[in-house]
Formats: sequence, structure tokens, C-alpha cells
Amino acid sequence: MDQNQEDEIAGQISSGETVEIHLAGEPIRARAGATIAAALWEAGMGKSIQIGCGGGVCGACTVSLRFKDGRPGGTDLACMRPVEEGMEIFPFPVDSIPPVAPVREPSSEKLRKLFPTLDRCTKCGACTTACPMSIPVMDSVLRMQEDKMEAVAEDFNTCIHCGLCRAVCEDKVKPHNMGLWVRRSLGMSGDFDQLERLIDAPQNDDAKEDWQYLLSGDPQERLARAKAFRAEGKRP
Amino acid sequence: MMEWARQSLEQVELSRPPRMEEPPLALSPAEAEKLIDEYHPDRAGKARTIHAGPCAGGQLFPLELADLLESDSPLPANFDPSIDVETDVLILGGGGAGVASALDLESSGLNVHLATKLRLGDSNTVMAEGGIQSALGPEDSPQRHYADAFVGGHGDNDPELLRILCGQGPESIRWLTGKGALFDRDPDGSFRLRAGGGTSTPRVLACRDYTGLEIMRVLRDALLTGPTNLLQNHSAVELLDNGAGRVTGAVLWDSQTGKLVTVSARAVILATGGSGQLHYQGYPTSNHFGATGDGLVLAYRQGAGLIHMDSCQYHPSGSIFPEALAGQLVTESIRSMGAHILNAQGQRFIDEMTYRDVVASAIIREAAEHRGVQTPAGKRGVWLDTPLIERKHGEGTLRRQFPGLIHRFARYDIDPAKQPVLIYPTLHYQNGGVKIDTGCRTEVDGLWAAGEVTGGLHGTNRLMGNSLLDIIVFGRRAAESVRQNLPERGEVTLSQLKKYREELNKVGHRPQTVSPQIFPLASRRKIEIADC
Repeated sequence: MDQNQEDEIAGQISSGETVEIHLAGEPIRARAGATIAAALWEAGMGKSIQIGCGGGVCGACTVSLRFKDGRPGGTDLACMRPVEEGMEIFPFPVDSIPPVAPVREPSSEKLRKLFPTLDRCTKCGACTTACPMSIPVMDSVLRMQEDKMEAVAEDFNTCIHCGLCRAVCEDKVKPHNMGLWVRRSLGMSGDFDQLERLIDAPQNDDAKEDWQYLLSGDPQERLARAKAFRAEGKRP
Repeated sequence: MMEWARQSLEQVELSRPPRMEEPPLALSPAEAEKLIDEYHPDRAGKARTIHAGPCAGGQLFPLELADLLESDSPLPANFDPSIDVETDVLILGGGGAGVASALDLESSGLNVHLATKLRLGDSNTVMAEGGIQSALGPEDSPQRHYADAFVGGHGDNDPELLRILCGQGPESIRWLTGKGALFDRDPDGSFRLRAGGGTSTPRVLACRDYTGLEIMRVLRDALLTGPTNLLQNHSAVELLDNGAGRVTGAVLWDSQTGKLVTVSARAVILATGGSGQLHYQGYPTSNHFGATGDGLVLAYRQGAGLIHMDSCQYHPSGSIFPEALAGQLVTESIRSMGAHILNAQGQRFIDEMTYRDVVASAIIREAAEHRGVQTPAGKRGVWLDTPLIERKHGEGTLRRQFPGLIHRFARYDIDPAKQPVLIYPTLHYQNGGVKIDTGCRTEVDGLWAAGEVTGGLHGTNRLMGNSLLDIIVFGRRAAESVRQNLPERGEVTLSQLKKYREELNKVGHRPQTVSPQIFPLASRRKIEIADC
């Protein structure tokens, strides 16, 4: 054990502060500063919430939260949200739904045909409130209606597809699914000239000689050659 | 916030203007080697040989992994495989490599099942931030990419695997964009290329600091519209063989019902990823929940050789404060944009853009010699001077280009645009793994492997952006190789497991636990098999 780890353990032991949280009504003593996920593991209740990445980017561990004292609760990710005294936690897993294949040159019109609930949005804002990534979801749905595809793609840049925006929508709007459809559709419609040129460029003799230079010799010689190649950016 | 570090933060502020345009600190190859030798965790002597299997008595393994390789199967002693699912190709793993394989098998007409321990896409892929390398720049070439990666890998890379990786860079980007992946572009419309540690020319494409997330959500979406059969929440707990040394299927454990599922397959593709959740030497990890090295254990029991298992990548910039973010990644791109690494006195101590193993070693030295910053939890780290990026590239740059970083720290009232973040190396990548040939074949017939579970490609130090490329190139290559070499269906037996158990017994080794481990120890979860 190195010094860093010894210090870490000493720090944890010395702080020792705990808070009371509830998982679906059941009280748990949790280490202050721990995430909800870590608190549940430490209480031996790891099975109660699905974990995927543990780093806030996969969307597996969605929970709904409330506080008895009236503080605003809401939804969040168990792997990112630290516990607080009096926090009440309810697992809120969201199943995925079948995707809709993207098309080239996306538009509001095409989107509306594939996602007929697009215009049912009543601007309640629940989706924006539910989003753990602070995406302006409702505004983006309005942008989808207004054919602002590039802006929508930008909005959903940070979307982890936890599905909460869809789960809380009373009008069956599917914001994150539409967001990904727009992104993929735009991605497929991009300009690939740069790539095509590089891929189609015939392997010239120069490249062949490069490979011969880099791949021949014993391991030590190969390393020396790679260093020389690297220093010049090309075969010396 | 961070009142406890006020003094040190003031020194960082004071030193910023004079070091703004400072060139990186020079470091000779000999000094770099010395740093690694003295401070890199791989050189700490926390490794040992193992007693059974194809690598017995030879190469070294991290202690935690060595124990798992010498553990017993979780299968009950009386378990007798009877086929529940019959398929042509069984892919184990639902990250980038497994999904790339599945997508390229779609047109084969073969029946394909993809089993994943968690949900589809819950993987290290989704957590990769910085980018994917591909030689697209005006001064670049696959050969130059190769030279950079070979030098970075200390020349331990398998030359043929590496040549394939670098040669397939542009084609892989075309494949990804064809599926709808959006990479950042420059104002003129060309792909934006950044430098990475050890790249001699800008070569890293990115989608902000969510590159892996972008790739994974696009590939997952694409897969879900296709014919692949999904077995989510199904962990592979053992491989099956035909009694003559060929892999013919696997036993899966359904974590929702506790039941075992026996799959007969003509080919098995292992794409189970890495092992950061084994927390070698107590290090924190940037890896996903499922990264417990399961595939290594499964392949090894079948007799597949492993390579470079004593080489791990400790990413220099794992966050270390607040406590809840400990171990999570702060992308290397922050450094390629010009952020400095500083000790408690606000001084630079290493070239921020040299190889990851060198930077990590330098940070460990700084902390060990008490020039780091101590957090309230007692951890030591160093500063990553993120506000410097705003000074160099204009206000708002971090928010635009690194929304993930900003979002994660905002919960804790820390704005990296205004104050630096504390970092310490985090267990990030398994450099070694199952040995494969250029067709992704392991040393055991019937068993292919791709992605982080494999070893050799990256040598003993991987460059940023080469793992996202790895999973695409070799995930697809495994699919191609399986199509061309698909064996006939064989019977399913546990004879390799029996042999391995006998071998352990013969050397007098009493397994202390069962493996694959499936869950991180911290989760206190264990495999619980329901009565069959």
C-alpha cells in the first residue's frame, strides 16, 4: 500500500460523518459525500439499482428523488448524485424503445412523419427538468418543429439516452430518440470528400517503401527506425 | 469551495501569467525511462507468476488478476451443459468492439447472438472522451501513425496488428460517419484534428469530450434496427469446448433471474473489454462497472495465451476531488489544448504532452515527494490548470469543447473555466490481453477476440485515441475472419474446465475464490446461481 492509499483510508476513518437516506422507504445510513450508487453498495443493496458505467454517461442508474422537508426533488443519476440527509430515493429505470432508422437530409417534415407525436408537445417543460445532463430538451423539441436541425444536433451533443425525458412526457413525445435520429441523419449527410480521397488514393511505391523501412529488422532496429521516422514525420 | 486549497490555488494564479507561453519542459529519453522505472505502478513489483495454464511460470500478472486466473469456476460441480440457445456466432460483450462485430455480421446471413453483462453499450467505450486517431492530416500518413504508436508502445507492439490499425484509420472514420457519427469539424468543413500525447502531428478526431459516447450511441442505435439477437444482463461465466480443444459455446448467467443459459455456437467472439474494476494496487479507475477482466479468465481456462498482462495504463488525469468523482477521467485533450500540470507550488514538472506512462509517473513522484496537494479525504494530487485554456483560446472555450468536464464539476460548484481541477493517475486501460493473430484468432480454435480484451497491439503503452480505433478496426476484422473461417457446430462440453481444475489441483493450488468476478468488489454484489 502506498502513502496515497494509507492517507486515503486515514481520511475516511477520521471523517466518519453519515447521513440518513431512504431507498423506497427503507432507511439507510450512508457515508457523507458518497454517491447514491456507492451508498447503496456499501449498504449491501447494490442489486436495487442497475449500474452501467458509474461515470454519468450511460444512463442506466436513473432514480427519482424527493425530500420530506419540501426541497425540490426530481430525477437524477445514482452514480453522480451525492447523498444528502433526508433524501428519499426511488429506482426509476427506463426501458429503451426500438429506434427509427435515420435518413439523409433530415427535416422537420421527415421527422414528423417518423415521430408523429412531435407536435403534441404542450411546453410543460418536464423533459428539461428531468434531464440529468442539463440539455434544454423542451426548447430543442420546439426547434425540431421549426426545422432547426443543426441546432438540435448541438442540443443533443451531450445526451446519454437515459430516456428520462421520454419517460416523464405525458404526451408521448420522444425527445432523445428524435435527437439521435437528427444527429445520425445529419452525420450520414455530411461531406466525405476528404475521406474518400484518402481511402481511394492508390498505395504508391513511397508508402510501400515506408512500410518496408518500418517493418524490417530486429525489434531494436525497428524501434530505432520508428523513432527516426517520427522525428522527421517521414522516412529519413 | 476548495477553501482548504486556497494557498496553493493562489500560487497557481500567480505563476500563470509568466508560464503562459513557456515551452514544455525538456526530458531526455533516459530521464523518462528512469521516471517510469522508479514510479510507474507497473514497476512496483506487485506482480507474480501463475501456476497453471499456458502462461504458467512465465510472464508476470498483477496480483489481483493472478488470483482470479487461479480461481475456480462459479459453475456448480454437477453442472451439465444442455443447450438452451443455438446460434452461429456468439459475441460476448456489448461495447464498441462487440457491436462493431455484430454490425458487420448483419449481411452474412448468419444467426448472431450478442450477450452482454450489463445493458447494450454499458462499456468503457461510452466513457472514452478524448477521441479517435486516424491519419487524415495534410502532413500525416498511416506510416507516421504507426511510428508514433510503436515508439509510444516502447516497440513492444505487434507490428502486423499495428500496421492494420493505422492503415484502417480513414476507412474506419468513413464507416462510422456512414452510420451517422458526428465528429467535430473545423470552420472550413474538414475534420478537426487535435494532438494527443505522443502524436507527432494532429491526428485525433473528437466529438467534444464525448467521443466514445457518440460512437457507442450511434452503433447501438444502428444495431437495434438490425437482426442481431440480444441477450442483455447475461454474463459469460464459462466457455464450452468440443472436447478436442475447440471453443463451441458459452455458459451465460442471467443476472435478473439467476439462471444459467447454455449457448451452442460455431464461433465465439470475445469482446469483454478491460479490467480496471480490479483496482490493481488499490488505484481508482476510470472504467465502467463491468470491467472485471472476465474475458481474460474465460480465454485462459481454454488454453489461450495472454500477453503483456503486467502492463496497465494509468491515465495521468483522473480526477481526485471531489471524492464522488475520484478516478473519473479528465480527458487528455485538455492538455493538448495547452493546460499545464502543476504541483502545490504552482510549478510545472513534466512535459504535459509526452507519453501517458511518463506523465503518470511524474505525477506519482510529485505526490510521493510531498509536492502535491492533499484533499480533505487525505488523497494527494496535482493541479490541471484548466483556466489556462480560457486564457489561451478565449473565454467560453472549455464550455464549448469540453461540456462533459464542465457538467460533471458543476454539481460540486467547481467551474474548471475559473479554477484548476485536482488530478492523480487512474487505472484506465489494460494494455495487455488475449493474444490474437491478424485475423483476431486467439490461440484456441473457435475463439476470436477483439478490443481491450486483446493484447499486443498497443505494446506496453497505448496512445490516446488508439483504443476507439482499435475496437472499430478489430471488431470488424473479427467479423470478417469469422465469416471466412466459420467452423461446423461441435458438441458442448466442459472438458477444458475440467482439465484446468485438474492442473490447479496437481500443482497443489487451492482456489480461494471463484472467477470470473463479474462485479466490482466495492459493489458487494456476487454471482448467485438459481437452482437449475
